[in-house]
Amino acid sequence: MSTTDIQTEAGQTGRDGDEAIRITSFWSGRSELVVSALILALAAAVTVGTATMNVMGDTIPGPQFFPTIVCILLYVLGVVHAVSVLRTRRFPQGADPRSHDFSPDMLAEFGDTGRDTVFGSTGQRPRTTGRVRAYSDWKTIAWVVGGAAAFILTLPVLGWVFASAGLFWVICKAFGSKRPVFDVGVALLFASITYVAFNVGLGLNLPAGFLEGAL
Amino acid sequence: MDQLTHLMQGFAGALTLANLLWVFVGALLGTAVGVLPGLGSSMAVALLLPVTFSLDPTAAFIMFAGIYFGGMFGDSTAGILLNTPGASSAIATTFEGHRLAKSGQAARALATAAMGAFIGGLIATTLVVFFAPTLVKLATAFGPAEYFALAVFAFVAISSVVSDSIIKGLTALGIGLVLALIGVDGQSGTTRYTLGLPELFDGLSIIVITVGLLALGEVIHVASRIHRDPNAVKIPASGRALLSRADFRKALPAWLRGTAFGVPFGVIPAGGAEIPTFLAYGTEKRLAAKRGDTDFGTTGSINGVAAPEAAGNSTAGMAMGALLALGLPVSATAALMIAAFQQYGMQPGPLLFERSGDMVWTLLASLFIGLVILLIINMQFAGLWAKLLLVPRQYLYAGITVLSMLGVYAVSSSVVDLWFLLAIGILGFVMRRYHFPVAPVLIAVILGPLAETNLRNALTISEGDLGYLVASPATVIMYALLLVAVAYAAFKHAAQRRANRASAKVLEDA
Repeated sequence: MSTTDIQTEAGQTGRDGDEAIRITSFWSGRSELVVSALILALAAAVTVGTATMNVMGDTIPGPQFFPTIVCILLYVLGVVHAVSVLRTRRFPQGADPRSHDFSPDMLAEFGDTGRDTVFGSTGQRPRTTGRVRAYSDWKTIAWVVGGAAAFILTLPVLGWVFASAGLFWVICKAFGSKRPVFDVGVALLFASITYVAFNVGLGLNLPAGFLEGAL
Repeated sequence: MDQLTHLMQGFAGALTLANLLWVFVGALLGTAVGVLPGLGSSMAVALLLPVTFSLDPTAAFIMFAGIYFGGMFGDSTAGILLNTPGASSAIATTFEGHRLAKSGQAARALATAAMGAFIGGLIATTLVVFFAPTLVKLATAFGPAEYFALAVFAFVAISSVVSDSIIKGLTALGIGLVLALIGVDGQSGTTRYTLGLPELFDGLSIIVITVGLLALGEVIHVASRIHRDPNAVKIPASGRALLSRADFRKALPAWLRGTAFGVPFGVIPAGGAEIPTFLAYGTEKRLAAKRGDTDFGTTGSINGVAAPEAAGNSTAGMAMGALLALGLPVSATAALMIAAFQQYGMQPGPLLFERSGDMVWTLLASLFIGLVILLIINMQFAGLWAKLLLVPRQYLYAGITVLSMLGVYAVSSSVVDLWFLLAIGILGFVMRRYHFPVAPVLIAVILGPLAETNLRNALTISEGDLGYLVASPATVIMYALLLVAVAYAAFKHAAQRRANRASAKVLEDA
């Protein structure tokens, strides 16, 4: 890919116009192809599942009928999506709308407002020292997902109070808390309150872990 | 006037000390989650849904009614004071509401919003009481072909007509349909897509999917941005929310206009309250321009708060009717409510009124009680709720994470479910990251099995003749309406793209 300056998607819609992004590789603004691949992979998985299905009964239409329709829909969408990403590079635009369930254009028209005001303006692109950083903060994501995975693994051993306090603390840290020691207290308090409220109060069966019997 | 007798019996059932306590607790919790910055009513319902499992169904649904409306009341508080509407249905309220707050009239804005939500909810719930039996009668006349058409209508309306991108909306729908297919097929007994895991024979729990997509997915998404986006500015509010008699007279027509916009959208599966709230806001804006009202758009006009808020809650109220009588979820939050019913082995729809009539009427009665309680706690303690806005973000999201784990674990005490939750949470994050709508997934998960069963039944009856699907007038009307809506949306999308292209700069070779 040659190094070309192009207007971003934001520029095309005339919002925060003048910034340009330098394209350094084929993948610039095309990471969304990952989603196309996922859609097609899902379709392939459904195809395999449908083909190898051990059909019971003799209802017509059978259990493979509806999945086949869904599967064809997914193949078509995966291809169309990939083509649309290849045709237009999509760049992160900073603070993004909260919900994508609704077309901001449509709501702006109904509400007689500017498009930008519907979900807040698109704001500044995240950037450090002149370079446009990747949109997502993978380090924080790794902390959150890793913390959740660790929680699930340790829950049967540590019991609810300690496992969930640990999860609480890790998320606090990931979200940029400045008081790790104070957080330990908050986490233990929160975990104990949920344990007492739900286990004792509402009769849910939360694991006690190694404290079994002591609590 | 059968309905009145039923409703009175409902009140008799709802007005016990225990049930009053549950509706009060639900209203408190719902408002609290709604007020918390960035959290909306759908998050309130998703997080608190599992909390109700240990209660008996009636108490659970009464509490739920409080949570459902409480979240709606709370959303606008966060929007007005912080300019961070918890749900997109509260955005329209935020425009004028936040202007009022910035010009030092936060109490007036909060009072107008609370009163608007009360009036909208009250009128809609009253309509539900009187029209639910008619809807039920209509629904019992529906056969498989009509139910399939209804499901298709909901699928296409939510994924294509209102969504930002038709491709992404339909993809989200497809993902939801696949998730709904997992498990043993009820009609033939065939095991489908379980990957050999016995945990999946009953299908992926709807609770896992909703909590994963709405709560955990949101946490991961916020985590991906928290060190990159600037913080919002907080506006303190204190004391009680007050509304003078003059303000009341000024806002009353706006409340009623808003309600008129909201009610029809409660039975149209178009994603919920977003469209009516924006329509209501746009109308007030045009009326203000005509009257020469200079407050609107500058220091803030209470009419601009009143109409969208009434529209939002009247949609929510009517949606409850559509949900109970037809089994049709019009929005993601309504889909969650259906999940709650299914958790108790009840299927909302015409049969619900027959089989669990007592419970339904008690639920409807407690909606009224919930609204009164919410009006009082939101008017009298507005300043107290505003304190919740000061909860540090790290504790907020840590709390959500722990509560979503708790909720899913509570369903069946299964660690495997927690892994599914994490996987769905990551899916929710990827969808948000690439601007895919989430609502179509939930609608597909809820209505997918219904669509499949009815399609297969219809084709069995007609012995494979596809013409049967469009044989009755009801189906023809539904498909025709859908075609018009899709054509209109496609036209709008194309026009927008042309406008964008026309305004974009052209790269010229020198």
